[in-house]
Amino acid sequence: MNLRLLASTPAVETLIATAMLTTTSGAAPSTLFHRLSGEPAKVVDVVGHLEVQHGSILEHNRLSWLLEAEEGEVLKVLLKNRFFSFTRLGSRSWLLSANLRTVVEYQAEGDEFGRMLLESIREVAPSVNANRRPVA
Amino acid sequence: MKVELLSHTPSKELLNALPTSEVPEREFMGHLGFTFAIEGISRACSHQLVRHRVASYSQQSQRYIQVKRLQERVVTPPSVVEKDGEEFNEFIRGASEAYQRLIESGVPKEDARFVLPNAAQTSLLMTMDGGSLMHFFGLRLCERAQWEVRVMADEMLKQVRGVEPELFDNAGPYCVQLGKCPEGRFSCGKIREMKKKYSGP
Repeated sequence: MNLRLLASTPAVETLIATAMLTTTSGAAPSTLFHRLSGEPAKVVDVVGHLEVQHGSILEHNRLSWLLEAEEGEVLKVLLKNRFFSFTRLGSRSWLLSANLRTVVEYQAEGDEFGRMLLESIREVAPSVNANRRPVA
Repeated sequence: MKVELLSHTPSKELLNALPTSEVPEREFMGHLGFTFAIEGISRACSHQLVRHRVASYSQQSQRYIQVKRLQERVVTPPSVVEKDGEEFNEFIRGASEAYQRLIESGVPKEDARFVLPNAAQTSLLMTMDGGSLMHFFGLRLCERAQWEVRVMADEMLKQVRGVEPELFDNAGPYCVQLGKCPEGRFSCGKIREMKKKYSGP
């Protein structure tokens, strides 16, 4: 099994912080997003408080990977979490996508695929990758 | 109302990274994400929005955010303004006063909000994949959709067409997407006008 992140929605962690603050502050989400875009340290701080928030705030993104795996391996992944989307590209080649909530929930399985998923988000969601907070 | 597309998966970046370009368009759309800030819509409108279940929402919570100056933060339907704006405004004033009295008497925000009307404004963050977005446009750009959600969907379509014109070239109400109206006897009969209105750039 081999996994490579191909694309993602930009500003993943800024959007997570925006979602967190949208639910509990009176500020408009676009104002929050643009303000947070210029304050990376604040984003890290807000995302660091993830454990007290509902898991849905991790959903405002889409990550797409190229997966090389056998059909049986894909079936195993789908049986563990139905929120992955797969498109078959070849006999052992798949386009796979999901949001960060699915990644975080799946990595708690502790299997090889979960470890690869977590490793793949190191650059696009560094705080989430480092914290690996449990989802409420 | 304000709608802003905050972030989306650049389709060309994903296409160029794929080992093949032979991915059915409908399936490909499902791998792309679009996140919008939607502000100043009514709770009546957001109730319709969240019926689209293959999506993610983070909405301002009336449990945590106290509503201040309700009269200035309501959506008034044009038909109400035209027919009986005073009746509407009087009700909003009453609801606002009742809410404030409940808060002042120590009722928690999560309970005081029970007197707030559907007209109360709300803001939220919404994320949909491209396939779900096409379905959303199919239903909510239809002449039969409620006016507020239709205005919102119109603005969303303009913005996604701005960044992904080819992907959303065929977007519009279902009569435009399918070439025929699926509303049966409820059809507005304006398929030609709708095609003209929503034909791609």
